Amino acid sequence: MKKTNQKKYDCAEIEKRVQAYLDNHLSDEEILMIEDHLSYCLPCDKKVEFEQKLKEIIKLKAAEKEYPKALEDELKKIIRNR
Amino acid sequence: MPTARQQEFESLIAPHLSSLYSTALRMTHNQNDAEDLVQDTLYKAFRAFDQYQKNTNFRAWAFRILVNTYITAYRKAIRQPQKVSYDDLEEFYLYKKLDESISLQETAKEDFLENFFEDDVKDALENLPYQFRLVVLLCDVEGFSYNEIANIINTPLGTVMSRLYRGRKLLQRYLWSYAKKRGYVLNEKN
Repeated sequence: MKKTNQKKYDCAEIEKRVQAYLDNHLSDEEILMIEDHLSYCLPCDKKVEFEQKLKEIIKLKAAEKEYPKALEDELKKIIRNR
Repeated sequence: MPTARQQEFESLIAPHLSSLYSTALRMTHNQNDAEDLVQDTLYKAFRAFDQYQKNTNFRAWAFRILVNTYITAYRKAIRQPQKVSYDDLEEFYLYKKLDESISLQETAKEDFLENFFEDDVKDALENLPYQFRLVVLLCDVEGFSYNEIANIINTPLGTVMSRLYRGRKLLQRYLWSYAKKRGYVLNEKN
């Protein structure tokens, strides 16, 4: 269903929704409204891209790549002993 | 010989040891405590395995046990909420700071993010008050959805969102102060 009288989002509305947008927690309609705004508003587009990048960097840098081998042994012990 | 159930438990939980440990480490701040926390979690999860419904979200189920175990073990420490001022928490904090202080090109802004040491990012996360830290870790590091997080920490969706959004804004503020301390931002005006 197409809404003809839909108001466009302004920059403040992008700011309000950017986190939910990046977390994929908006309705299809909201996503379209945001992407419409980003298609012509370069400053918002840059900011949103930066937030996306930051999210990736946090995931990349904060996740431990290693874990103690002892945990695997402990898991086996817990399972076998019961 | 392990039984089929024991094997099933092991094969379900083994792929998540790394992320359970990673979250435990950010929550407890040290390796020994993190190891203990994950061990307790494994033990409790195995004992409660009968209550796990087949083909439901095992990862979220295991994290829920991790979070409960953490809260029980650290009840005293987390009872005193840390005082944080939320007055000037704004969206796009880091971006705006970079923009107004050094007017970096967009590529330079991305390089700025790439240049953060892992330890800075980890420290910044670990400095967040624990309720904020938990949701930011679950969402941004572990990739859980809002609904999964609400279920894992047994909190309404709206609370999850407000903690997550505030937590991230606070995190940006911490990252900015690390950047200044480390000298990543050299020509700050004023």
